[in-house]
Amino acid sequence: MMVRALALLIALLTVATSALAQPSPFDMSGERPADAPVLQQPSEAGNKGAASADQPAVVMKPADFKRFIIPFSALSLTGEVDERAWSVYLTPAQAQTAATLNFAYQNAIVVAPEASMLSVFVNGELAGEGQISAAEAAAPISYDLKPGLLRAGTNDIRFKVRQRHRTDCTVESTYELWTEIAPDTAFIRFTSGDSATLTSLDDVRAVGLDARGRTQFNLVVPGLQQPSRTAALMRLAQGLALRGQMPAQEFALSETMPELDKPGQITALIGTAEEVAPLIERLPDGASSGPVAMFVTDSKTKASVLVISGPDWSAVQEAIEGVTQPMDRPSNVPRDVIATGRWLLPETPLVVSRARLRFSELGVETSEFTGRRFRTRFSVAVPSDFYADAYGDATLLLDAAYTETVLPGSHIDVYVNGNIASTIALNSVTGDILRHLPIKVTMRHFKPGPNVIEIEAVLATEPDKACAPGTPASSDPRFALFDTSELRMPDFARIGRRPNLAAISGAGAPYRNDAAAVPLLLDRADEDTLSAAATFLARLAVAGGRPIAVEVITSPLAAGNRNTLFVGAMPQLSKTVLTQVGIDPARQMSWGNAEDSGQRDETQKAIDEWRTRLSGGAWRNQVTAFQTWVKQEFDISLNSLRILPEAQAEYAPPESAGLVLAQGANPTDDATWTLLTAPTSKRLREGTAAIADVTRWQHLAGRVSAYEPATDNIEITPVTGFDFVQTQPPSLTNYRLILANWLSSNIMFYALLLIVLSVLLGLATSSMLTRLGRRQ
Amino acid sequence: MSKVGSVAAWAFFSLCVMAVITLPVNLQTQLIVSVLIVTFMAILKLANAGGRWRLIALAFGTAVVLRYVYWRTTSTLPPLNQLENFIPGFLLYLAEMYSVMMLSLSLFVVAMPLPPRKASSISDGKFPKVDVFVPSYNEDAGLLANTLAAAKAMDYPADKLTVWLLDDGGTLQKRNSANLVEAQRASARNVELQTLCDELGVRYLTRERNEHAKAGNLNNGMLHSDGELIAVFDADHAPARDFLLETVGYFEQDPKLFLVQTPHFFLNPDPLERNLRTFEKMPSENEMFYGIIQRGLDKWNAAFFCGSAAVLRRKALEESDGFSGMSITEDCETALALHGRGWNSIYVDRPLIAGLQPATFASFIGQRSRWAQGMMQILIFRFPLFKGGLSIPQRLCYMSSTLFWLFPIPRTIFLFAPLFYLFFDLEIFTASGGEFLAYTLAYMLVNLMMQNYLYGSFRWPWISELYEFAQTVHLLPAVISVLLRPSRPTFKVTAKDESILESRLSEIGRPFFVIFAVLFVALLMTVYRVYTEPYKADVTLVVGGWNLLNLIMAGCVLGVVSERGERAASRRVKVSRRCEFGVGEKWYPATIEDVSAHGARVQVFGIDASTVPTDTEGGIRFEPYSGSGTPETLPVAIRNKEIAGDITIMGCRYLPQVARHHSLVADLIFANSRQWSAFQSARRGNPGLVRGTLWFLWLALYQTSRGLIYFMRSLRSSETQKEGA
Repeated sequence: MMVRALALLIALLTVATSALAQPSPFDMSGERPADAPVLQQPSEAGNKGAASADQPAVVMKPADFKRFIIPFSALSLTGEVDERAWSVYLTPAQAQTAATLNFAYQNAIVVAPEASMLSVFVNGELAGEGQISAAEAAAPISYDLKPGLLRAGTNDIRFKVRQRHRTDCTVESTYELWTEIAPDTAFIRFTSGDSATLTSLDDVRAVGLDARGRTQFNLVVPGLQQPSRTAALMRLAQGLALRGQMPAQEFALSETMPELDKPGQITALIGTAEEVAPLIERLPDGASSGPVAMFVTDSKTKASVLVISGPDWSAVQEAIEGVTQPMDRPSNVPRDVIATGRWLLPETPLVVSRARLRFSELGVETSEFTGRRFRTRFSVAVPSDFYADAYGDATLLLDAAYTETVLPGSHIDVYVNGNIASTIALNSVTGDILRHLPIKVTMRHFKPGPNVIEIEAVLATEPDKACAPGTPASSDPRFALFDTSELRMPDFARIGRRPNLAAISGAGAPYRNDAAAVPLLLDRADEDTLSAAATFLARLAVAGGRPIAVEVITSPLAAGNRNTLFVGAMPQLSKTVLTQVGIDPARQMSWGNAEDSGQRDETQKAIDEWRTRLSGGAWRNQVTAFQTWVKQEFDISLNSLRILPEAQAEYAPPESAGLVLAQGANPTDDATWTLLTAPTSKRLREGTAAIADVTRWQHLAGRVSAYEPATDNIEITPVTGFDFVQTQPPSLTNYRLILANWLSSNIMFYALLLIVLSVLLGLATSSMLTRLGRRQ
Repeated sequence: MSKVGSVAAWAFFSLCVMAVITLPVNLQTQLIVSVLIVTFMAILKLANAGGRWRLIALAFGTAVVLRYVYWRTTSTLPPLNQLENFIPGFLLYLAEMYSVMMLSLSLFVVAMPLPPRKASSISDGKFPKVDVFVPSYNEDAGLLANTLAAAKAMDYPADKLTVWLLDDGGTLQKRNSANLVEAQRASARNVELQTLCDELGVRYLTRERNEHAKAGNLNNGMLHSDGELIAVFDADHAPARDFLLETVGYFEQDPKLFLVQTPHFFLNPDPLERNLRTFEKMPSENEMFYGIIQRGLDKWNAAFFCGSAAVLRRKALEESDGFSGMSITEDCETALALHGRGWNSIYVDRPLIAGLQPATFASFIGQRSRWAQGMMQILIFRFPLFKGGLSIPQRLCYMSSTLFWLFPIPRTIFLFAPLFYLFFDLEIFTASGGEFLAYTLAYMLVNLMMQNYLYGSFRWPWISELYEFAQTVHLLPAVISVLLRPSRPTFKVTAKDESILESRLSEIGRPFFVIFAVLFVALLMTVYRVYTEPYKADVTLVVGGWNLLNLIMAGCVLGVVSERGERAASRRVKVSRRCEFGVGEKWYPATIEDVSAHGARVQVFGIDASTVPTDTEGGIRFEPYSGSGTPETLPVAIRNKEIAGDITIMGCRYLPQVARHHSLVADLIFANSRQWSAFQSARRGNPGLVRGTLWFLWLALYQTSRGLIYFMRSLRSSETQKEGA
């Protein structure tokens, strides 16, 4: 306690004296979230830290109810500053109950405790913070949430760190800084066990997470196998998923009741009153007279079960529509935001045309920075028919400042989805205030759906070079980023492409746009296949922001010219479907039998080896060196100069793949067929559950995406030839931009076009000039 | 295909090209396209493809230029909120856009220059009456005598030809001047010229007051004469014998023809040519204008009157009340007025007169200031784009001719733009290295190639830039002052008879040394910054490279303003003409090797050189082209001699005693216009872009050192002068 108080006093004095000695370089007083709260209420924070340290073991009282809060499989906060924010939905009962926020964290040994701080904010208010000092073992922390802080509905939670290295002042050293919080240690504990009870349909949103950050809906359906019920069940899955909006939602369809009262799960019982009665103690009132969809509480486990029932199946269907229908929205009106709040706040704005977004709207706060590597991020979504990856540039209008201590050679880098998109140098020796400095950000790495844009300032300074003791923890701001900065999105080309799994991933397109029912072909109606289909459709609905109407078909012929989904284990699938989505039918039976694995890799390896063996010739070296240089400097390879499209080889799923999502055109080339398949229906269900997790889902792209369970990786087979699918009303400006993008990715065509037109213009000029004016 | 159809097709393809060019394709595409197009253009150029291929190559070039313009406009301007960058950045942008506009106008003008015309013939006995006007202000009698004699000697029926000396140096106003010296001089001149004219059979005419300068003088001539056609020669422009025969015939073919213009061919180098020693091997500056541009203008019926060496129709001039005198370039203004009234002009691309051009840099600048100011006045007073009566091509042609003279403004901007970055760290052009390569470099290369394609054998690489640079410093204030007060400038006669006997710095050369010094400091700054700020070395190198280009240019101009002394006062013309050389009573067979306005070089056979000391008086006897067929004698004095076996080469100086002797001199020099064509075509070789650039670099290096040496010398001499004082 004494030490801490002393440290605070010193900190206070330093701030005061430095403020007296010289004016702060940026007039942004009061904008220091990391330090300011400490100064206001030091004793409270200290007490809390001490209190939590005093009771290390979390004792489970049966009357308690806890909800896990971390929507990731792991939460890691890295670098000198980092934060994560998301929202948790609470029922009115939960919001009124006294609660504590608990978690355990561990940090890298190089993190200097006296200069590092972990803060937790709930609904924008500081719930608690403390030094980061758990290098040895995970340190459990508990913060009381003051009454009234939590509210019914959406609550924002933000974990924020400021970390400094103990000894090192290099930029590289900042990569060694991390603090991790395991999801199973992080929860809100409500003092009353009654708060676990769900009462209204809206409480589905409070479904929550399990200890691994996942969510599961159990749909118990007596008579599950009846094909006539499938479509309604798929609708229900989507309705529930759209209410839950959780990052990793899985659906488990079965005929029997699962174990109840598990965190992160909701069990729904679906069937006619007659069918569901045996499975439950007491039917909800009116179930035998009309459609009902309501929670009942299981007396044994105290768990809430959602009962969707009615006197007959049509009443059940009506009840299902009662769950799903409110989630619907017009398919042709674009959303303002993509609902990402449960794992990423603020909700991601969707940009469909020219727009200017202020950083303050994007959740980036004004911040002053004292370290060496500043990093902040925000997210912006583009529609499924985004087609500007080859030519487009967005512009960051940056408001920032840096002091004279920042050495020239420092730079700000902009990353889009983890790929570097732009760099600007901070070259002034006297510091500078950048006012709406335009930075071109290539849209090359943009994809449909949310895109994470990160801004990283790498700051070299003289004191850091010397790195005297105390330098890493210095509190002199050297860089500031202001929330008046803007992201300016241009009008970009918009046209759908077929195949394009990125559109499925980003916006559930093209299925979300279909007003009529989407044909769904399941190879058989077993639990696994149905679960997989429900999980996949639910994910599509969340990606697209609206439920999709489904019609179950049994033959590909029934699909006609509609966009169709195929879900099933590989061996049962029709050859037509495989051919259309570009999968080698020869692998239909052999996939999943591990004998022939690795064949192709070895061939490739041998070729590579031969290539290195033969690369002795000086001339060849020169050519290769030139190619490498051009590739490096201008990103031009021989491939970008090809005139004929690459031949599209049929995709043979490798043994390492556990699940394959493939897309192609239907036989008449006027609709999209998407196939979700695996060697067996069990693997289909597991694989679908895995890719439904947003961290994997957002990587789906190309014409085939294969999930490899062993490496937890999604392998993309890029699109080589595609058809355009009109998504926007015809407009000359859009066509122009589409042409620009297409020509930017087919360079030789542009060159050819320009050359041919120039030749024609030359000839036309010559013909005109011989007719006009004097001639001889 | 009809005219309308071909224009429609052209417009359609232009639109297509524009549509493709304004597609926002990515940098990689631009890079590949640039490389391909530059390669294609280079191949076409190397193959020296003409006709259609020439226009295709130009279309290629246009595509790259337009890509540059599109990119420059959409993505390189500094943000508006950085005014310190934006204002200079935008000025630079405007300067570049001006250059692009001038490029497109000149492309229009010279897209398909008319090939040389077939000679016109005059129907038998239908020779129209011609008045030849030789306006003079202060030229000396000797110079006028040559011109008048040459004019008088033109092949044309004598009763149809009247030569007028329009003397503005001996007007009543001048003779009665309050300034006694001036009055005396004017009276003496009046008497002297009257005598000369009487001897040559030329009419002398002067007037009461010097109103409206040259235009007024010519109009006065018109009042006193009545010929159907009027030929105008400057006092120093002597016509060849066939001048009228080559030009008058066209008036018969086209009754609406008001002008036949011929090129100005100069016997002496301009100060740049003299100081850079390029006169013998490189085409003259004005050859681009007369060799290509006037031919291009001629295609659009927009060839304009250049003040001399032209024949005009009296009827047309009378319709517009004579020569216009609103601007100080009355020639172009008159042509503009008559074109506006539906009259036609043609241009005959064959040198038919030979003249002198200003010898010193100062008078060269004086002449150019007059042209620049006059063209600006036309631009302001008669704005050709909206002038009624002109066809659209004529409007564009006149806009091209007048707007050209705004060049000092963009030149100045290009000169100083790099300094903004090098000295003040202002970023007035935002582009990455890759973009610079793909857009700017391609643009510059294509620009050079297009220039070379268009003007190759008439203008060597970088010479246009050199001439513009050399004029910019002094023309900038002239152009700006006329823009501010359009009616202020008045006509000043360009002195052309000066000669430089001693090497010295031009009296107006100082600013160039200052500029050179500043650019040199900028070069040092570049090196310094590359080393101290390695993180932005790429930008510094690009901007520094631009500055280096300016420095090379500025260095070369140092040579231009370092005036070389020269021994021969005027240029020699090769003639190879049989004659006899006589000393005392003895005549030897001889050949005239070359002649100048002051003397001749004669190869004499069989003379004993020792018997004829220097300054011996003798004579050259030859048969003049213009005479009756009998040989006539021109008295000379021997200045030097050189013995080569049987042959002695004598340098002689003319000693003209009577007017007829002037006619003989004129006959020697000016009689044969084919010599001039031959001389011109000997210089017309296209060295190509690479060789031309290397040559220019060498030239610039050499001239820089020469300029600096002259500068040192001038410092030393001024010091010794001070010491002496």
